[in-house]
Amino acid sequence: MRRVFMAMIILCLAALTLPGFAVQPAQAESVRIGAVFPLSGPLAPIGGHIKQGITIAVEDINKAGGIKSLGGAKMEVVYGDSTGDAKVGVTEIERLITKDKVCAVTGAYQSGVTLPMATVAERYQVPFYATGSEDSITQRGYKYTFRSNEKTSWRVRDQVGFIVAMGKKYGDPVKTAGLVWENTAWGQGAHRDWQKYLKEAGIEIVVDEPYPHATTDLTPVILKLKKGKPDCIFCCSYISDAILLINTIAEMEVKAKAVIGLSGGYADPNFIPGVGKNCLNMFDAVRWEPDFPRPGIKEINERYKALSGVILDTEVMKQYTYMWVLAEAVNKAGSTDPKKIRDALAGLHLKAPHPAVQFVEDELYFDQTGQVFAGSMVGVQFREVNGKIERVTVWPENMCRKGFEPIWPMPSK
Amino acid sequence: MEIYAQAIVNGILIGSIYGFTAFGLTLIFGIMRVVNFAHASLLMMSMFLAYGVTRTGVNPYLAILVEIPVLFIAGYILQRSLIEHVIKREPGVREPMSVLLLTAGLLVLIENLALVLFGPDYKMARTAYFGATFKLSGVIIKTAWFYGLIATLGCYFLVNAFLKWTRMGQAIRATGQDRDAAQLMGIDHYHIFGVAFGIGMALLGVCGAILVPFYYVHPAVGWVFGINSFIIVILGGLGSIPGAFWGGIIIGLIESVGAQFMNATWTIVVVYGVFLSILFIRPAGLFGLRQEW
Repeated sequence: MRRVFMAMIILCLAALTLPGFAVQPAQAESVRIGAVFPLSGPLAPIGGHIKQGITIAVEDINKAGGIKSLGGAKMEVVYGDSTGDAKVGVTEIERLITKDKVCAVTGAYQSGVTLPMATVAERYQVPFYATGSEDSITQRGYKYTFRSNEKTSWRVRDQVGFIVAMGKKYGDPVKTAGLVWENTAWGQGAHRDWQKYLKEAGIEIVVDEPYPHATTDLTPVILKLKKGKPDCIFCCSYISDAILLINTIAEMEVKAKAVIGLSGGYADPNFIPGVGKNCLNMFDAVRWEPDFPRPGIKEINERYKALSGVILDTEVMKQYTYMWVLAEAVNKAGSTDPKKIRDALAGLHLKAPHPAVQFVEDELYFDQTGQVFAGSMVGVQFREVNGKIERVTVWPENMCRKGFEPIWPMPSK
Repeated sequence: MEIYAQAIVNGILIGSIYGFTAFGLTLIFGIMRVVNFAHASLLMMSMFLAYGVTRTGVNPYLAILVEIPVLFIAGYILQRSLIEHVIKREPGVREPMSVLLLTAGLLVLIENLALVLFGPDYKMARTAYFGATFKLSGVIIKTAWFYGLIATLGCYFLVNAFLKWTRMGQAIRATGQDRDAAQLMGIDHYHIFGVAFGIGMALLGVCGAILVPFYYVHPAVGWVFGINSFIIVILGGLGSIPGAFWGGIIIGLIESVGAQFMNATWTIVVVYGVFLSILFIRPAGLFGLRQEW
């Protein structure tokens, strides 16, 4: 009995030293960057993928000579696990700043976790390179918060724009909308912007349903969609709910001209295996796709696929570029002093070809609020390609994958 | 009108499955007076086991045949090798607090072990039951939910019959009612605890097998159902088996039918409202009597 007990204790200790939670040993001259993401809990898959994106980026940065102005110092990333919880995220960023002495922090995928973390970074005067999409992240007058992904309002603007464009092109416009959104900061922001942009487009909202994130059952919400019969269902979900939502829409036989996601869970590589053919012909609005006609994407996608087994998605690509931007900022600052790095970030102007920008856009610089002007979103449709379901970019026309045309409206099964 | 019929049917079906997730928890409490905080993560492990069985291509419900013995033995060993030691440290205490801490620790341990062993990805069993539905006078019924209801009712009657009519069942009930008196009658109550924990785990095993055909598997999935099961157990009465069943149905119906009149996020408020008012009127829960069975 005692031996079994001992074995359990040893297992306990082993669990505590797992790679995700471990603090890597410090090297004297390395540049330490903090990264807080949901590495466990319901959002662990995307956190794991983002981590692999960071791994590739750091590998590339160090292979290219590290931080040159600091004598080729290597970049080193110290991870924090937010578990998807704002309270934990705040503790983790505080730990990284005070104990691990990182010179900049990036995180945290979820807007609801990013917002309070930015406040902590501001207090300690450490640059925080944020990845949530909620508008207010860069609208609070913070000096140390930077962001180069799109705001929720831009996503929604282009998502609605895409739906309107499809309706016009095929002479079958959407007149009514059903909104389904998770009720944390991200979904609340999307809801606010839907009200604005759908009204401008003359689309009436007939169903408007928030639901609690990581729920057991979404049939009650889906039944309301069935009752309200909207032409187009707009969804804002993280991965677990996205799987549940799309499967339940199919099971409860809800018919609509279109179902469209807002990246997040719908762009997660776990989404397609989770829903199978139920997602066929639905749409998503996203900033970046691996089928973009830009140089070098194929090679980096292959490398990432070999490492993680899934294709590169918009979140991972974003994080890859983030690490390069941080490396350039430290290089420009010539110091690991967080204040100098902050000033370097504010004045940074990068142009393609450079790994920090070339896969996504032509140039990158921050405005007064620390926000980058990101380009527009694209419309994606889930299509069967060679017997497998893939995300295919179908809009705007200059970005459309060769040989593909959007299917509008979604054929009812 | 059809929508409301659909909402009621959905509520009863998912509610019975909610009740089933709480079955093992309430049984273990009823007999051992131990709140098993590891419940959520043990449910997750049983779902992974069921998922593993479905990968071999057999009917997912055959996983029950694997789940019951494996989880019963695992439960018995867990009780005899780990929890028993902690109970012995608090002799004469009817509801040992340190067991609570132990099971809470197990929860964290098991979840992180699963994260290492199975990875963070969401897994969906691709079986014939994935997305399968049938219609009954216009109402869509999810096949996997329907089987869930049957399994719940089946296990409910089997466990009740076992407790009522077998010698072991009588010994278990006796231990649950009065540990000391049972001991005086020559019942080895640690063995009984082991069997009770084993049965509780075996029920979780059946539960895993009925969830996997329609629900994703993930190291954190236990939490999604776990919180509900704790509410159900307290709502229905700690230790009460019919309490778990009806508690589940009540929550299922509130979520499903309630959402047709308000936002889905508000139904949680109603669930907690009902929960609090029942606790206020009947502190022991709906079916919570001092002596169950």
